[in-house]
Amino acid sequence: MDTLQFLIDGFAVALAPQNLMFALFGAFIGTLIGALPGLGPANGVAILIPLAFTLGLPADTAMILLTAVYAGAMYGGRISSILLNIPGDEPAMMTCLDGYPMAQKGKAAEALALSAVASFMGGLIGTIGLILLAPVLAKFALTFGPAEYFALFMLAFATLGGITGKNPMKTVVAATLGIMISTVGIDNTGVQRYTFGILKLYEGVDFILAIVGLFAISELLLFIEERAGAGRKLIQVGKLLLRPRDILHVLPTTLRGGSLGFIAGVLPGAGASLGSFISYTLEKQYLGKKGHFGEGDPRGVAAPEAGNNGASSGALVPMLTLGVPGSGTTAVLLAMLISLNITPGPLMFTQNADIVWGVIAALLIGNLLLLVLNIPLVGFFVKLLSVPPMFLLPMVTMIAFVGIYSISHSTFDLYFMIGFGVAGYLLRKLEMPLVPIILGLLLGPEMEKNLGHALVISDGDWSVLWGTPLAASLWLVAGLGLILPYIVGPILRRRMRAAITEDAVSD
Amino acid sequence: MTARGDRILGLALLVLAVAYGWAAQQWPAPFGGHEAVGPETFPTILSVVLALSSCYLIAKPDPDAHWPWGRTAIELVMAVGILVVYALVLEPLGFIPATTVAVGTLCWRMGAGPKGAFITGLVSAVVVFFLFNNLLELSLPAGLLAFE
Repeated sequence: MDTLQFLIDGFAVALAPQNLMFALFGAFIGTLIGALPGLGPANGVAILIPLAFTLGLPADTAMILLTAVYAGAMYGGRISSILLNIPGDEPAMMTCLDGYPMAQKGKAAEALALSAVASFMGGLIGTIGLILLAPVLAKFALTFGPAEYFALFMLAFATLGGITGKNPMKTVVAATLGIMISTVGIDNTGVQRYTFGILKLYEGVDFILAIVGLFAISELLLFIEERAGAGRKLIQVGKLLLRPRDILHVLPTTLRGGSLGFIAGVLPGAGASLGSFISYTLEKQYLGKKGHFGEGDPRGVAAPEAGNNGASSGALVPMLTLGVPGSGTTAVLLAMLISLNITPGPLMFTQNADIVWGVIAALLIGNLLLLVLNIPLVGFFVKLLSVPPMFLLPMVTMIAFVGIYSISHSTFDLYFMIGFGVAGYLLRKLEMPLVPIILGLLLGPEMEKNLGHALVISDGDWSVLWGTPLAASLWLVAGLGLILPYIVGPILRRRMRAAITEDAVSD
Repeated sequence: MTARGDRILGLALLVLAVAYGWAAQQWPAPFGGHEAVGPETFPTILSVVLALSSCYLIAKPDPDAHWPWGRTAIELVMAVGILVVYALVLEPLGFIPATTVAVGTLCWRMGAGPKGAFITGLVSAVVVFFLFNNLLELSLPAGLLAFE
């Protein structure tokens, strides 16, 4: 039982007082980030990276902090879904369907508490799945050569748009742009590429400031455009009247939802949104007439919440074992790993076992902390939710400035970040996905390195890239990932929309 | 339904792809002879991919999103202006005055009352400054308020 031993060591790391404190802090901040509209999980984690950096945190503590934020954000997303009928982040969309009707019936407190329990169960199942699956996958990934890795990166890009993605060609464009930005700087043969003689560019574009600019600054601009500064009216949260029977009632739902969510999270390109969607729809079909979904059925709150938390743990599997993230937020977590000089991938499980298992143990502890935090403190989070975005977003922007400035103490970086922000705004208006850009920035250097290695081994024969059966099948799946959205995407999207409008009519 | 946005984007990307690919061909061959993969190989592939996909965007653009014109556009340009000025005066003026003005103006432009906006700016600036300089020991520029 190697895994068990590693896990115990992981707990030793995660339970160190400093790490535990940061996990608690991260869980708290994460819930806030998830709850506040206009601050998605990817965005929130991105803003915290420079802070974790400048605080000089050791690698394990920094990763534990950010993982706790990630887990917390998934919890927080539900609060605004239930109280405002606006999802705090995309995966929380399905929670609106039954959560908001429940709140309208005066059962807001119950909906919040039940969804916290469901999130906990989903997170727990997902983390157990992660513990079982990750070491196996890591061992398998050790057999990958450079050609397989190159194909794997292609697979990651091809499926990143997701099955529900709108225009796969835009994913291609975005990924290419990201990789192109990553080629700026001095390459490993010493040639200056695209530096234009600017000293600052010799070491390449710092992806942290690109991420913060693309996400945080563009968000501010979008809010200004939509004039959504005033925020919306909250539903009052009454006293919590929850019996143990109510929790038992939703328990089977959370088990099913969590497992489905985990599977959706592991699969490339599916992610948490699909996790919560699948959990909700299947639960609705499974219970059929026995439930009253869409009118405030507690199980309709529990299923998507368990699903999206299961999926968020599942999404860590490809990120930790292969170094290939499946979602925006895990891409940002990958950025943190790379900037800590840790090469993600199968070797991390042997070389940095303490960090990997520390993070996994921290996920388990974090889930428990979140459950404990969320039930009594929900009133506090609700209060913060009533801070209108017109005060909130300028402050978030200021924190982003502080973070970037404190990395290098140079205002040049700040202008660069603003530039990325304007570009991010324009690209978002053009419906260009930002996550492939980030992933391209992160994976570009690795891709080029693997391409080089593969071709050196084969003495310049390009067919080596799809020479082995494994590499060829990865290419095949990547191809499917680009073509399927054209066929399946419209159908799935129509169904998701139908599910939402149908429920909107019925209330 | 117009689709000008994607066409312009496609055209801009096509120009970028050609320029990027052309620049890659100008680098001198690395010392020690030519290898299978030189510094220009990967960028050349990228420029071809981008050129092809931008042609697709020009040929089959998505319908346009709603672009803000008039007042909203001015507000947006102003917001970017505020950010640039913020970065510009951060060091000479110091963190607290610069942040008060920047956060205050942004809050105000986003719809808060001017008094509330600037108080928010001042309070957040002071809190963050002391949090960073004293508790976290990261130095933010003190600027005008520097005193020894």
